[in-house]
Amino acid sequence: MLTQKRVFAPPSRIRPGVIPTAQDILIETPVASPLQTNLEIQQLFSENPQLVGLPVIEDDSAIGLINRNIFMDSISRPFHKEIFGKKSCIAFMDKTPLIVDRRTSIQELSFMVVNAGKKALSDGFIIVDEGRYVGMGMGHELVRMVSDMQAQKNHIVMESIAYASVIQKSYLRSSREDMNAVLKDHFMHWEPRDIVGGDYYYFSKYEDGFFAAIMDCSGHGVPGAFMTLIMASTLDHLLTREKGKDPAEMLSLMNRTVKVSLGQVSQKVEAITGEPVEEEEARSDDGMDAAFLWFDMAKGKMTYAGARMPVFVSGEEDIVIHEGKKKGVGYADTAMDYEWENREIQLQSGDCVYVTTDGIIDQIGGKRNIALGKRQFSEIIRASRQLPMTAQRESIMEAFCQYQGNHSRRDDITIFGFRV
Amino acid sequence: MEDFYIPASAMSPEIDFRFSNNVLNIRGESYPENAAAFYGQILSQLALYLASAGSKKIEVNVALRYFNSSSTKILLRLFEMLNDAVSAGNDVTLNWYHDEEDDTILEFGEDLHSDYELLHFNPIAIPEA
Repeated sequence: MLTQKRVFAPPSRIRPGVIPTAQDILIETPVASPLQTNLEIQQLFSENPQLVGLPVIEDDSAIGLINRNIFMDSISRPFHKEIFGKKSCIAFMDKTPLIVDRRTSIQELSFMVVNAGKKALSDGFIIVDEGRYVGMGMGHELVRMVSDMQAQKNHIVMESIAYASVIQKSYLRSSREDMNAVLKDHFMHWEPRDIVGGDYYYFSKYEDGFFAAIMDCSGHGVPGAFMTLIMASTLDHLLTREKGKDPAEMLSLMNRTVKVSLGQVSQKVEAITGEPVEEEEARSDDGMDAAFLWFDMAKGKMTYAGARMPVFVSGEEDIVIHEGKKKGVGYADTAMDYEWENREIQLQSGDCVYVTTDGIIDQIGGKRNIALGKRQFSEIIRASRQLPMTAQRESIMEAFCQYQGNHSRRDDITIFGFRV
Repeated sequence: MEDFYIPASAMSPEIDFRFSNNVLNIRGESYPENAAAFYGQILSQLALYLASAGSKKIEVNVALRYFNSSSTKILLRLFEMLNDAVSAGNDVTLNWYHDEEDDTILEFGEDLHSDYELLHFNPIAIPEA
């Protein structure tokens, strides 16, 4: 984040709140008159080695542009100096240079320059004020201005996302506090792909146990983050100790509430094919995959209900993967009365429990450029089982990053692990 | 009906619908920023094609290495449409390509098989190159 801030630092050439125009890249250059001879022009170019293009001005308006290279080439040909030397400098001038008004926005100008072909970029273009010549613009200055503007836009977007991240993280604080208070040996690795994202977690402690939720909301980035806040605040609102003990019912309750609040009660194919749907606003088809857990501390028993998100239990001997139901929560095609199932899992002292979003399982990498998969993920967690959970986090993430190799991250990733 | 083609990009698959031969190919990875926008036209082309099909033998080749959750939702709709096309009298074979070690993609295909029973599901393991 910090490096990005430095890279995208707003350049001072762009004035805040003002749309940059051709005026902002205007440079004053020497000009020629059609009355001047080619010999005089040659003299001018020799005296001004920086001069690339020389505008020819008649009665305050530009009638052409003399390009240094073309001019010098032409005049140095055999006998040309003798023939053209004393003639008007319009002989070697480009009679149709690009001429733009000083109020032209940089964006519009850049399209004009590109459309004008190579010469406007290399020779420059003439800037006028209501037809009256005021100066020149150069291609490289325009390119610099455009990249400055791009950098500034990036900067603004990144700042905005950085602050969105502050908000998204702040809503996790009480979950993290409860987690730290209840779990002695645990880790939570939460890593949105694009600073903010659609992965989220929720944790609440009670005197006899705790409720934990790992959620993977549809979308990532900013839209994903919107969804996480909707889901987490809905969960926060609905959850009580009694309900927390029935994770499957919590999933159903979330499903009904979210479907109603997002208007995802029924949806036709037309809504996603982009064809207008009669008298309906653009509807979302959003929801989440999730694993909801209740842990009974006295009995060491975990109740798990899953919506497309498994839980891995690593025991003394082997790893058991408990799969949830195949439907996500809240989506248009999940029925209003859909029911998830609770699974009671008796844990032994020393067992490790892991919940991860599909960002880990589906990441492409390895020798064969395929998804990591549950089997390989199981191997990774088996390898570090003896370590304290915080050390496991490092070892798991190291193995994951090694698997990912030089592939780009495909999704947000979250792994929650705790030892009983 | 004219064939329909969209080249692959880093975040979206190649779509090669050869309606004239009744062969539909989807290949690559799918995690576009806006899956609904990307697939909108694809689904409407398919709907148009299926509306005109009645007793065709349709071959569908899917070789996807990765697809995100929002693409998954739309792919399911696509398979549902194909499944419905069988009810309408067509014969649809779904060739589901996966790397022989890719249990994630294979498992997804098997779920498809149980959800859309009318499709002739044909998993094809691609051995290491």
